Amino acid sequence: MLVMGEVHTGLLQNSGEIPESTCRDVLQLLSGERVRVSRRPIVYAVSPDLLTGVDCRLPSASQSRIRGAGTVLSRSSITGGRVVQGSSFTRIERSGSDRRQPWSHYLARPGVVEVLGKVKSRDLADGFAEDPPADGLDLGAISARFLDVVQSSPLLDRRAPFKIARTRLRWVAEEGEPAIRFTLHSEQMRTVRLVHTGEFTPAVADLCEDLALHDWLLTALLVIIERARIGGTPGPEAAVKLAPAVDHLLHLWMPSARVDDVLSAYWESLDRRPGFTRQWQSLVDRVRDQLAVHTLAFLREKSGGGAR
Amino acid sequence: MLIFAISDKGGTGRSVTSTNIVYRHALQGNDVCYLDFDFGSPTAGAIFSVGSVARGTTRKGLHDYLLGEGAPEPHRVDVWTESDREGLRTKPPGAGRLVLLPGNEGGGELPAVEEETLRRCVQLFSRLDEEFDLVMVDVSAGRSFTAEMVLQATVRLPSVPFRWLVFHRWTRQHIIAADGLVTGADGLLDAGTRFGHDRNALRDRIRFVRTAVLEPDAAELVGLRDEQRAWLFACDTELRELASRHKVGRTSMLGKIPLDPILQWREQLISDEDVLASKIANAETAAAFDDLAKKIVDDAAWEGL
Ligand SMILES: Nc1ncnc2c1ncn2[C@@H]1O[C@H](COP(=O)(O)OP(=O)(O)OP(=O)(O)O)[C@@H](O)[C@H]1O
Ligand SMILES: [Mg+2]
Repeated sequence: MLVMGEVHTGLLQNSGEIPESTCRDVLQLLSGERVRVSRRPIVYAVSPDLLTGVDCRLPSASQSRIRGAGTVLSRSSITGGRVVQGSSFTRIERSGSDRRQPWSHYLARPGVVEVLGKVKSRDLADGFAEDPPADGLDLGAISARFLDVVQSSPLLDRRAPFKIARTRLRWVAEEGEPAIRFTLHSEQMRTVRLVHTGEFTPAVADLCEDLALHDWLLTALLVIIERARIGGTPGPEAAVKLAPAVDHLLHLWMPSARVDDVLSAYWESLDRRPGFTRQWQSLVDRVRDQLAVHTLAFLREKSGGGAR
Repeated sequence: MLIFAISDKGGTGRSVTSTNIVYRHALQGNDVCYLDFDFGSPTAGAIFSVGSVARGTTRKGLHDYLLGEGAPEPHRVDVWTESDREGLRTKPPGAGRLVLLPGNEGGGELPAVEEETLRRCVQLFSRLDEEFDLVMVDVSAGRSFTAEMVLQATVRLPSVPFRWLVFHRWTRQHIIAADGLVTGADGLLDAGTRFGHDRNALRDRIRFVRTAVLEPDAAELVGLRDEQRAWLFACDTELRELASRHKVGRTSMLGKIPLDPILQWREQLISDEDVLASKIANAETAAAFDDLAKKIVDDAAWEGL
């Protein structure tokens, strides 16, 4: 019927980026199973999918009491040894019967929540942007915990180079004419509504994680630039405040790196509007220009000082 | 950095002083948040002039969050947008975020420290430390389960830096009581050691803050008779001796806040506008908050005693 997910993204709590082997060890803690790693074009390590059982109210724009039971798929990942994500999603499907089934039934269908009773797909999808009620399906809470597990790893020194909020991207995917809509809600909250042709595949979840990652990078860079108060503070001070962006963020921008070719059109459409890469590039240029100006001023000061 | 604000007695100025410190710290360009862990009387909302949470929130506050009452995330208030005071409602250029996590309206003290509550507290501190330069926690007055909870939580977060501020008034009773809260039976050091802190290391992370101090040479005292002034001087000298005997003296004091008439009348933040434009607050008071806001993160002020 439809698929719902939520991705949380944050800065890995370590002073520097961590090497691939440490990524493996950190994610290994989550489960004994093997961590998957891909190296090109950027090191990306991901835990195996883990299941969380849920029996709860489902979102509903009309505030109907819809109940569902089943399991949610979640995973933690680390990109570039620097950015961490907790991601969860589940397919919502109609149940064959109106009665709650034993857990063995749901466990046989990992990543599926069955709706008990009548439900309209549209009503579910429209309700999903809202924060869930206390007894509602809360994929965000599950994803946050998957992120916490990584952040609290004893292998990390917890001396992150700067403080930054996590962002959350809540997404819902339906079948139909291809379309995508990305919306910024608050400082930390984003939603994506995506329509895809044909059956849902996990590649859609990968796409949403990739979007979440890049949206976080963009958000973090904006925050760092705002903190630097270019023009409002003396050059050297602004340069010092911009340095963490150069050291830790600028090389991580690789849109679509892990996105299935079939889905790359979605990224292209978002790059046209709202224009993620264009905004990123202009911010990067700003940071580099600022540092160049500062270096020039510094050199001029030094040589001037020498002449006197 | 986590900062815990505590006092032995109620009504010492702990909330007013700690809120003003975070406000100044935000103005100095840091992202800060304030956690109202005074679950019995959550009044931080009133001091930040956020009317909707003046006596705690009716949504999921910290109390609900810690007790696991259906709140994966506690309610957050962005003071720069939600304060009722016009002067606070725009973030000054260069200032950091200023976020309040209110307690629950009608919450009540923690009945005990359950493992689940402690786990949630650790998770909360850990998440906030990822996001904010400074997390100020109003731990309420005296020995409490809340104080025990945060002592235990910090044992479980060995790489998150933390410090304690003990607020007290400049009187005989308060000096003795503040010392007792730290070094007395079942005080912070005893309890902390019991939970796994190193006693000396913990001691190094505790400093005292004197509130509502009337200096004998203050402008307010100009109209006093000579006899009165002499008496005040003698008192002050005696208190200084008492304080240093109780190790609450100059070396373990982080700062002092002068008595300010406007704070006597109303619990509020003192803005630069209050000092410069309307002139209702004393410049010395604002400067003292500003100074403390710097000292809480200045390692030189926290070197071993
Ligand atoms: N520097 C100051 N000058 C004058 N009055 C002050 C000063 N600091 C605090 N006060 C006043 O003292 C009273 C108590 O302050 P506050 O509410 O901050 O204390 P508290 O220690 O948090 O109390 P409680 O334990 O009840 O929460 C308030 O009326 C406050 O305005
Ligand atoms: Mg108080």
